[in-house]
Amino acid sequence: MSDTKNVAIMNQVPDAAAGVRAESPLHHADLGTVAQKGLKSGGVHFREMGLLGHLTLRCDPKNADLIAAAAGVLGVELPLKPLTSVESGSTIVRWISPDEWLITVPNDQSFDLESRFRAEMSGHYSLVNGSGGMTLFKLSGDRVVDMLKKATPVDLHDSEFPVGKVVSTVFAKSGAIIRRTGATEFELVVRRSFADYLWLWIQSASQEFGLVVEA
Amino acid sequence: MTQKNRLQTGGRINRSKPLSFVYNGKQFKGFEGDTLASAMLANGIDVIGRSFKYSRPRGIVAAGAEEPNAVMQLGATEATQVPNVRATQQELFEGLVSGATNGWPSVDNDLMGIVGKVGGKMMPPGFYYKTFMYPQSMWETYEKFIRKAAGLGSSPLENDPDSYEKINQHCDVLVVGAGPAGLAAALTAGRAGARVILADEQSEFGGSLLGTRETLNGEEAARWVADVTAELAGMKDVMLLPRSTVNGYHDHNFLTIHQRNTDHIADKAPAGQARQTLHRVRAKWVVLATGAHERPLVYGNNDVPGCMIASAVSTYINRYGVVPGNELVVMTTNDGAYQTAFDWQDAGRKVVAIVDTRQNPQGAQVAEASKRGIQLIKGSGIIDVAGSKRVTGVSIAALSADGSAVNGSVTKLSADTVATSGGWSPVIHLAGHTGSRPVWDEKVAGFLPGPTVEKRLIAGAIAGDFTTAGALAQGAEAGRKACAELGMDQPIIELPTTQERVEHPAMTLFHIPHVKKTSEAPKQFVDYQNDVTAAGIELACREGFESIEHVKRYTALGFGTDQGKLGNIAGMAIAAKATGRTIPETGTTIFRPNYTPVTFGALVGRDRGELFDPKRYTAMHKWHVENGALFEDVGQWKRPWYFPKAGETMQQSLDRECKATRESVGILDASTLGKIDIQGKDAREFLGRVYTNAWAKLAVGKCRYGLMCGEDGMVFDDGVTSCLGENHFIMTTTSGGAARVYEWLELYHQTEWPELEVYFNTVTDHWSTMTISGPNSRKLLEELTDADVSNENFGYMDWREMKVAGVPARVFRISFTGELSFEINVQANFGLHVWEKLFEKGAKYNLTPYGTETMHILRAEKGFIIAGQDTDGSVHPYDLGMGWAVSQQKPFSFIGKRGMAREDCVRDNRKQLVGLKTTDPSVVLPEGAQGVFDPKAPIPMPMVGHITSSYWSANLGHSIAMGLVKGGLDRMGEKVYYPLADGRVVEAEICSPIFLDPKGERQNV
Repeated sequence: MSDTKNVAIMNQVPDAAAGVRAESPLHHADLGTVAQKGLKSGGVHFREMGLLGHLTLRCDPKNADLIAAAAGVLGVELPLKPLTSVESGSTIVRWISPDEWLITVPNDQSFDLESRFRAEMSGHYSLVNGSGGMTLFKLSGDRVVDMLKKATPVDLHDSEFPVGKVVSTVFAKSGAIIRRTGATEFELVVRRSFADYLWLWIQSASQEFGLVVEA
Repeated sequence: MTQKNRLQTGGRINRSKPLSFVYNGKQFKGFEGDTLASAMLANGIDVIGRSFKYSRPRGIVAAGAEEPNAVMQLGATEATQVPNVRATQQELFEGLVSGATNGWPSVDNDLMGIVGKVGGKMMPPGFYYKTFMYPQSMWETYEKFIRKAAGLGSSPLENDPDSYEKINQHCDVLVVGAGPAGLAAALTAGRAGARVILADEQSEFGGSLLGTRETLNGEEAARWVADVTAELAGMKDVMLLPRSTVNGYHDHNFLTIHQRNTDHIADKAPAGQARQTLHRVRAKWVVLATGAHERPLVYGNNDVPGCMIASAVSTYINRYGVVPGNELVVMTTNDGAYQTAFDWQDAGRKVVAIVDTRQNPQGAQVAEASKRGIQLIKGSGIIDVAGSKRVTGVSIAALSADGSAVNGSVTKLSADTVATSGGWSPVIHLAGHTGSRPVWDEKVAGFLPGPTVEKRLIAGAIAGDFTTAGALAQGAEAGRKACAELGMDQPIIELPTTQERVEHPAMTLFHIPHVKKTSEAPKQFVDYQNDVTAAGIELACREGFESIEHVKRYTALGFGTDQGKLGNIAGMAIAAKATGRTIPETGTTIFRPNYTPVTFGALVGRDRGELFDPKRYTAMHKWHVENGALFEDVGQWKRPWYFPKAGETMQQSLDRECKATRESVGILDASTLGKIDIQGKDAREFLGRVYTNAWAKLAVGKCRYGLMCGEDGMVFDDGVTSCLGENHFIMTTTSGGAARVYEWLELYHQTEWPELEVYFNTVTDHWSTMTISGPNSRKLLEELTDADVSNENFGYMDWREMKVAGVPARVFRISFTGELSFEINVQANFGLHVWEKLFEKGAKYNLTPYGTETMHILRAEKGFIIAGQDTDGSVHPYDLGMGWAVSQQKPFSFIGKRGMAREDCVRDNRKQLVGLKTTDPSVVLPEGAQGVFDPKAPIPMPMVGHITSSYWSANLGHSIAMGLVKGGLDRMGEKVYYPLADGRVVEAEICSPIFLDPKGERQNV
């Protein structure tokens, strides 16, 4: 049974033909120029991966029908083990809480994905497009752990925080969804309104290691 | 050579690196490796401050964290001032500038000294309570005098130029203290592969080994320390933190470490370096190897400069190559202090005598003293010291076998230094931070850490074993124990061989009696920093302060920056004796964080200035800045407050913004409103339970205003919720209340109604929300959309999906101004694009941006409330005259229904929200003004409620106000008076709060 009549979904991304300018949360920081003029080597590297599609799925992990349906839509199993993630192509699914997952895809695919969920998955769940409210920071480099330790009380040692692990936690005086993507590579999903604060904070905390901005 | 007390050889200082420093305006020299204290002693500086209460000259007593007197002011410039630095822990650097913190006008000639001298009787314990608290009105005057006279340094008046770091750490084992026990524990755990942090407050590892001439494996102990340190440094998961004091031991093995990165290098940190780092550590296991502090004995005039702790004297000689005097008398209850006499003699200076309180000490140390020709005076004590700014001699008398009374004649000896030892106190401070009560141990003659729920082990002197061999063995054992608990290997490390020494039993004695009774004897200091004497403690006990906690507070024993590290045990022993109890019966006060003072800078880290608190921005923020907005803080949001044009006053801007909106069209960035997406088949039912009004019949495409109450029936938030689909709603909340409302919904869903099928998601940041409001708003919208937005097709309190400026949008016809309004929501990535397009098309309608202040005025003209401004947690919907928003007929109850039915909530004469029109239309009442019905009533006048909102309304041409008034809804047309702080009394008439368009015709077109 399709769920579309009970829930309002909308393709929120304008047609390319409309010539609409999209601005990521750090658009104002002009990271392109910063990248050109700034350091070329250093202990911490920063890149904003703006304008992704961010979809939050909430459903009962014990409901096998829902879990199977979600896997069918996503092409990968939902990570049911706490604090883990799965990745398939450009789709990344992060465990957020026992009944919550964050899915990121290219923003122009978010409506397709949302539509397929509504068409193929019935029962009690929610799927919410939060793409405008989030952005993703890629942080890497030899000293990235030393920098992140200043901001988050989570243990980032590789024995406790292996590649693929995800936590939603405190970051400075805001929050972030932190995921390890490599030995010295992390991504942070943060909220739009806090992005500038976190960007300033990361710049300050990275200063001693040398911050390389990429764009 | 001006360093008259410096030895030619020996110690851990670098004589090829001389350093100059300033103390109280004079230049001195020291060496690399010195502390400020050792350099001062090398230069023969005797007086380093004045005491707190009696203003007596004071000198350096100790060599570590326990130092009570040498608390200095540091800093070469105003901005780099640091108060409260212990000279014994401050490493010397080139150009260090220091000064005494107390002593007015100077330490050598102190006006207060005169008061102090006559004040022996004038200033008993409880002095401040007894004297200065009465009359109360004079306290401020007294306080200024006391602060100036006593003082413990001054804070900088300029901004700190340094940066500070805070960092989170995790480890398997945190070892506190890098003496023999700590090193052995860390090495064991490190070899097992554990993640180890080893922290020590000193500049180098080694602890007690640094201040002695003890050997390990037959070599100087430093060799073994260096080998172990090097091995630890090579381990991947071991972090070594010298110059790092573990200051706080909090619940669940959370500890804080204050690391001083550059305090030993310069006045100001080198560019790019953080001066200090605060480590916030979560440790699976903690090994406390904090050692012990030697206790000085309590005797007459024991605070005269030159009176020191025996082990400190040895440390100055052995570690720093400084002999702090010429003629030494040692007084001891144990064998340990004999070594100080030997160190002194080996340094080439005169040992006048060893005074041993034991009647018949025997053994190797006694034999050695005899061999060295040192005079040994047994069964005796130093009962008094001569001298003022430096010891000039001592009075010695024979004591009874238990040490409680003088039973012989008094002999006087010439000396300039007195080194005493009354045994050792385990450093149990950290062990007590989480609430564990220390336990008295007779054999140790000290308190040991009590039982704890924390995963904590102790090793070495803190556990009461004061031998090096014991410390090494206990350290290794603690390391193995921690590894076993962690499920790791338990390696056995090879321990170095130590020098064995058979000790003659020590005598338990704290207080040396005088020929006179204590109250008449010369002052016998127990707590130097607070000027607490033995007589003072006895007096406190006589006055009925028997609990040690009361004695502490009455006498100030154990307060101050040193927290009684030296004096507490002796003080308790004296209180025990005075009250006829044992020490365990008397008990001890408990230690709290921090162990030594921590700078504000380290606690703050980078959370200051721009980063003090997050600033939240909307997607249109850049436009607001470029268009001259002034901003207002709403929670953490920066919201445009108003948009002044050149030359405008604030009121002129507001008048212009208000009129433009009512006459044509204005625009507000409403993105900060909280937005919660609600999905599930029971969403509607859930809304009915958390809002006061009914939601069962709200159709898809419709919007409705709702009030949310707490269980007590009081309003806590409000907003419009729209039905997006049969099972889909979007709720808006106040900007500041968003997180609280979201948590409220989750709380009720998870704990009360988990059976309801509903999910909540916060989408505040996802949508950019811009509200165009005013008679021309429809025309403006029509220019940017193909949708039919006529009143017929898109009525008031409807929402529609459409494209605005090419961007898919949800548009809501809701109004907070009472005008025709459209609230346009687009994905925030496209927010600024749409906003700018509105201005492109809006020029011909004089589209005017307005901020929160105009929003407040426009809504007040309509009598719309702001939750949190017109409500304060004591106001229910009926008080607001909003009974229309409460549905008592809902099948299931709603939160607050019972609360608002309580007797007090339904009584007459409750404060109710009404409109208020001042008799003089030009007067704008101040918000917060209190009203009275009878301005001639005697003071205190009965107050009847306050003004909650008040503005000048340019549209109406008069002031408008809303306020709470007792029984206000039944008093329409009556007068209320507002007596103001400036003497005016403003008269106002109670009216409906809807000042404009009471029928709501403007919004409904």
